[in-house]
Amino acid sequence: MPLWFARGLRRGVVTTRYPARPDGSAAALPTPPAFRPGKLTCELVDRMIAVCPGPALRRLDKTLVFDAGACTACGRCAQVAPYAVTPSAEFELAATDRAALVKTIPILGEQR
Amino acid sequence: MNPGLDAPEAARQLREQIAAQFGRSLHIRTLDTGSCTVCEQEIRLLSAPHYDLHRLGFFFTPAPRHADLLLVTGPMVRAFEVAARKAYEAMPGPKIVVATGACALGGVYQADPFVHGQVGAVLPVDVWIPGCPPSPLALLHGLSVAVGRLAEKAPGLTFIADDESPGDGT
Repeated sequence: MPLWFARGLRRGVVTTRYPARPDGSAAALPTPPAFRPGKLTCELVDRMIAVCPGPALRRLDKTLVFDAGACTACGRCAQVAPYAVTPSAEFELAATDRAALVKTIPILGEQR
Repeated sequence: MNPGLDAPEAARQLREQIAAQFGRSLHIRTLDTGSCTVCEQEIRLLSAPHYDLHRLGFFFTPAPRHADLLLVTGPMVRAFEVAARKAYEAMPGPKIVVATGACALGGVYQADPFVHGQVGAVLPVDVWIPGCPPSPLALLHGLSVAVGRLAEKAPGLTFIADDESPGDGT
């Protein structure tokens, strides 16, 4: 124990504040999807809604309403359309307002 | 508090008061309202050396009477509603309620005769932490947001990937 005490004194403070540096494991975390509006079509969005296990995706005419709070980051929408959906790499999503987690995404891809 | 203030100004002052009181040390009571316990595993990891919650002045307490923050997981099953209200009422004020995980935010279960489907239906939630489960890093960020040490990022996010690659990827 005295050895550890001396080592601690020599090195000084060893604890840090929370985001002291980017965490190495953060890149491996599953994260909610990010959408490419130019690649989305209404038909494609309806297919993504069909595979979404929760109420995270909704379509209001030509906009996709994405509830990041309800998203479980399962990645099924990205499996349906890997060219239109990518992981957002955002995991620090805490919000003081529930409505701030609901995002609207325009559907800009041309319809068939 | 000055009674002549309008509501947003009074709310801002109250938030500052809470940040001044909780800014350095705060005790957390976790409440499982029917989760699958994966959120609990991530919460347990906060005490591990890698995440080391205690360096930030957060501590877990087994009693709501000693707690400043209620960390609620799960979709709030109706059978647990009375216990959840009792735990909330037993906490001394000012108190913070944090809803943790997609279940608590209404992402997994819809309201039906067995579950409320989200924590907000029973308790006044101050901070929402999404994720299924939220990683320990997301929990640390959420707790820091709850005590006003870090700014929240969620309002600024669009979830639009702007790297529009040329060519039709279909």
